[in-house]
Amino acid sequence: MIGKFYRGFLYLMAGVAGFMLIWLMFSVITSVLMRNAGLQPFAWLFTSSEYAILYMTMLGAPWLVREKGHVHIELVTAALPAPARRVVSRGVAALCVLVCVILAWKGAELFLGNIARNDLDVRAYYFPKWILTIAFPVSFGLMAIEFSRFVFGKDLMHSGEAGIHE
Amino acid sequence: MEWYSALALLLGSILLLMAIGMPVALAFLAANIVGAWIFMGGAKGITLLLNNGFGGLTNYALVPIPLFLLMGEIFFHTGLGARMFNAIDKLLGKLPGRLSYVTVMGGTAFATLSGSSMGSTALLGSLMVPEMTARGYKKHMSIGPILGTGGLAIIIPPSALAVLLATLAKIDVGALLIAGIVPGLVLACLYIGVIFLQTKLDPHAAPPYEVEALTFGQKMRLLMGDVLPMISVMVLIVIGMVAGFMTPSEAAAFGALGVLILALLFRCLTWEAMKKSVIGALRVTLMAYLIVFGSATFSQLLAFSGASSGLIDWATSFDLAPIAMLMVMFSVLLLLGMFMEQISMMLLTVPIFFPLAATLGFDPIWFGIIVLLALEISFTTPPFGLLLFVMKGVAPKDTTMRDIYVSAFPYIGCSMLLVALLIAFPQIALWLPGL
Amino acid sequence: EDTLTAVHAFPESLIYTKSFLEFVDKVNTAGAGVVKIEVRGGPEAIGMFQQPDAVREGVVDMVYTPGSFYAGALPEKDALVTSNITAVEARANGGIALIDEIHQEKMGVKYLGWFDSNVCYNLWTRDEPKLDANGNLDVSGLKLRGNAVYNAFFTDYLGAQVIDLPTTEVYSALEKGVVDATGWTQIGLIDLKWNEFLNYRIEPCFFSTDLGTIINLEKWNSLTDASRQILQDVAIAHEAESAAKLGAVRDADFAALDAAGMKVVTLAPDAAAAYLAAATQSTWDRMKGLMAESPQGDGNYDRLLELFYVK
Ligand code: NA
Ligand code: NA
Repeated sequence: MIGKFYRGFLYLMAGVAGFMLIWLMFSVITSVLMRNAGLQPFAWLFTSSEYAILYMTMLGAPWLVREKGHVHIELVTAALPAPARRVVSRGVAALCVLVCVILAWKGAELFLGNIARNDLDVRAYYFPKWILTIAFPVSFGLMAIEFSRFVFGKDLMHSGEAGIHE
Repeated sequence: MEWYSALALLLGSILLLMAIGMPVALAFLAANIVGAWIFMGGAKGITLLLNNGFGGLTNYALVPIPLFLLMGEIFFHTGLGARMFNAIDKLLGKLPGRLSYVTVMGGTAFATLSGSSMGSTALLGSLMVPEMTARGYKKHMSIGPILGTGGLAIIIPPSALAVLLATLAKIDVGALLIAGIVPGLVLACLYIGVIFLQTKLDPHAAPPYEVEALTFGQKMRLLMGDVLPMISVMVLIVIGMVAGFMTPSEAAAFGALGVLILALLFRCLTWEAMKKSVIGALRVTLMAYLIVFGSATFSQLLAFSGASSGLIDWATSFDLAPIAMLMVMFSVLLLLGMFMEQISMMLLTVPIFFPLAATLGFDPIWFGIIVLLALEISFTTPPFGLLLFVMKGVAPKDTTMRDIYVSAFPYIGCSMLLVALLIAFPQIALWLPGL
Repeated sequence: EDTLTAVHAFPESLIYTKSFLEFVDKVNTAGAGVVKIEVRGGPEAIGMFQQPDAVREGVVDMVYTPGSFYAGALPEKDALVTSNITAVEARANGGIALIDEIHQEKMGVKYLGWFDSNVCYNLWTRDEPKLDANGNLDVSGLKLRGNAVYNAFFTDYLGAQVIDLPTTEVYSALEKGVVDATGWTQIGLIDLKWNEFLNYRIEPCFFSTDLGTIINLEKWNSLTDASRQILQDVAIAHEAESAAKLGAVRDADFAALDAAGMKVVTLAPDAAAAYLAAATQSTWDRMKGLMAESPQGDGNYDRLLELFYVK
């Protein structure tokens, strides 16, 4: 039940990332058309496309971990016999979990600090920064969970075939 | 810490992490955490790392890449690409390796307008590699030319990096842009030479299949029906940029829109194709941008710790002949380029290299072209050239690291040959701006 | 010996960075054996917009940056942006002391000095600017490149069609005609080569550069009295020297631009007054609104205006 809900959330975030990609296209086209029609393009079109890149990358990243979409290079893992490869592969995944946990934790601090200090991101508008930095703890937190599936789960991150893998 | 210890620590940790199979983006992040801890005073350095990632990703310069990817994916998934290449295949007749030549010419044309190596590689990679593989081309016949022409985007104007370089080095922007034209075209010709050689040496590199002879009327019908509409999307974008309707960064969005409209007209736009295109574009973008997130801070750590400036100072401290000095600077750029992002490299090296080049008696425009070539080469140099990862993202599933490295080498060789030619005949770069 | 690490917001080639590096040299000479500044680099070492946070957190001890890069934390920086006096006057009348106090309270940084003042902004256009019957600037049809510093003025008062573009894209945007006018400081246009496309400069100039050196407060408090004294004395001297020097650079730049055919359009007195009043008022309104939202409130508003703007 929790697993189903979690998976739904993960794919929902990936869906939002996909929407951000479409939004990029829409916002650029709209502002160019407005400008050439002699109108003032809404400044938020420009700013929102910059923010969209951040949301797209952070919200989609955990889904890409599940899809094994983050490129890695298989040299050592390809040279090792199967039992040793399993150990190394799970070890590397554990290291990834550690990195993500650290970043999720520092990201949560940053997000809370942004709220406490009332920090603003200054572009065309003065925009509350926490709305953007909340992406860090959420994204890295979920990435930590996804990487931990390669530590404890049946599936391994590494295939044992030499090459760059995605 | 001495600069060489800092350099060894930072580069050593990233190489080790990548070698044991850590995802590239995570390896950068892990090395950053270690580096930030040591050089930036502990935990607060990690907060800065996140702030850097925030700054690196909320950047308008990153807008075109996903949109060029989307354009290529729509082309591919709606079948428009297959349709165009079928037609070109038939029109070109028996020429061995014909689609490889098309890739070089299309890539060169595209490079002249996009100014974005990553965007150009992404578009051509998603467009050409699956098509050509399906037609029996060996991988290196499609991947190689694309990696090669992706780098051309930096040299052939318009090029955002060239403008930035000229601004930082205080040299004439117009002259530097114009100086890139002839070397760019020479490089494209060298690429064509590579393909010719590859098909001569290995006749099976490209499929030797026969195509039926066509009448003039059939050829015209293919040209008007299946080739011109697709090319017209590109042409319209170029006109839009030249006429000041949009900036090169904005052109990607109209490219994607143009292909969508085309797919509607040809009645091949389905929900399924649209969904696959978005997912395909998203996968590569996410993969590349998480690396951007990590490598932005890694570049800064190299600079902030004094590692890269130490390397530059050391390498340029020897009293050598001008030509040897040039080789030293070129090597430093190649070495840094394996780990650093290009704008940081420029910020770091320009204040040292350009005055040095002036004292050595080099023409600044000519030297600027050499620097741009070094940046271009470092973009595709194994093991970490970013274009290699982008290519891995868009190429068919069974493509290995070896395939991509092997494909890249002849084209890196071409760029090296061009550098040698520029040293022997500086007029290749200086003739056009001198007119 | 006290050692401070430092970074600067702009690339080394920019005139403002060179000025900061001169300041560093002066400190290192005057403070030999007592205090030393160790420059770690520019935006390649710490991202331009992350530098204010970095000095706040103490990742680096000293940063040379426009106040506008930390506008979200300190809206009072607009007092410097709208200022029509130089750092020398603001130092003498206590204006910089007040700004320092606000920096310490709101950001935990010491405001050491306002360098490179005495430079303001002009509006630069490709085509001859149109004036209405009363001599006011008419910007209808103008494609104006904007940025967060002066958009409030451009859009609210001038009613211009502002296009936001990163500085790196402006050259090609001017080349292609995507934009045909931009605001920029009096100096620097030649370095960016924008004068290849821009032919008119509109006078009067408005606003001021707001570049300052800030130091992490904990670090500042940990320095010896002798070190603090040297840093502060050299900074005050550099405020005056850099203002004088940039004035001379501006005159030289203007002469070079004149020689290359840059034409100057000066608004008539009434129109000029309305233009300047609008530039400052819309920015002050923004500052007051943001100050009111912060826990410290807008109590310093009137005093800031009084100290940094001569009516
Ligand atoms: Na280009
Ligand atoms: Na590289």
